Amino acid sequence: MKCENIEELLAPYLEDELSSEEKEAVEKHLKTCENCSMFLSFMEETKESLADFPELEVSEDLLDRLYSIPNKKRRFKLSLPSFDFLLRPSLQPVLAAATIVLIIISFYFFNPDKHFIDKSINRQIHLGYSKIERLYAKAESFTDSLGEHKDNILVSLKNIKLLRGTED
Amino acid sequence: MLVNTYSKRIFNIAYQFAGSYQEAEDLTQDIFLKLYNSLSKYDFRKNFTAWLFTLAKNYLIDQYRRTKWEKKTRDDFNDYYLTSETFEDPEEGIVKQESRRTIWEGINNLSSEIRMAIILRDIQGKKYEEIAEIMSLPLGTVKSRVSRGRLQLAKILKEKKEKRNEM
Repeated sequence: MKCENIEELLAPYLEDELSSEEKEAVEKHLKTCENCSMFLSFMEETKESLADFPELEVSEDLLDRLYSIPNKKRRFKLSLPSFDFLLRPSLQPVLAAATIVLIIISFYFFNPDKHFIDKSINRQIHLGYSKIERLYAKAESFTDSLGEHKDNILVSLKNIKLLRGTED
Repeated sequence: MLVNTYSKRIFNIAYQFAGSYQEAEDLTQDIFLKLYNSLSKYDFRKNFTAWLFTLAKNYLIDQYRRTKWEKKTRDDFNDYYLTSETFEDPEEGIVKQESRRTIWEGINNLSSEIRMAIILRDIQGKKYEEIAEIMSLPLGTVKSRVSRGRLQLAKILKEKKEKRNEM
């Protein structure tokens, strides 16, 4: 095995994480290679040095700053309205529908052929309006013809036996 | 309660990662502010410590990428890490302190991801499984990052010692 390959295996070797074959190969190489066995000692020293870094105490000043965070946050919250409700999952369909509406509106407003769209909308409105007018006129003529035949209809109704009741 | 339990651990990770005491204090404050803002998103089925460490790790790495902390040097090792440890052989003590100083400065040469893996494994002494959870990485990737970090630091130590011997 070459020295470069051994280097890669030294860290797992120190943690006893190599397979028995790899471990055997590393040990065999270390017996014959002074450079690699010296490098192993540097690896050990590195690991020891890292493990020996002491834990520092937190300064009083930092502790004061950390304890005051929730109060600061509360003050901040009071000054600004919260928009957290917008993130509720139940609002998602509403927000999705609003997005679609906005897309359609923006499609209309930013369309280069806006005046064609306006024309076709106007035409549709006029068509609808004239249909309604025609319907209204028909309804009027129907009521007129009903008025003309009103008397005849009343006489006919009076002549129907069932509606006369018990006159006899 | 959160401050009492976690401030020391978070501050030490921030200091080991950033290498500047002042910076570490500010970063710790930012991490706790982020923690209070994110508590509502915490999933109670998950391990809280791992979740908090993930939040701290993400913040530290993001800040590092954004600013590179402008300066390349770390605080002098002796400023805060000079230990009162006594050695039977004073010469051995000097050599050990010198190695620690070289390693401390060498941490600056590691990429942010490798640096974090080394800090969690070799300084904080966490298990590989815990680190994989904190860093959201497969176990194999974590092991390989720790290996690469140790290799880089050992090379730095070797070069430093060889230079000193030449002098």
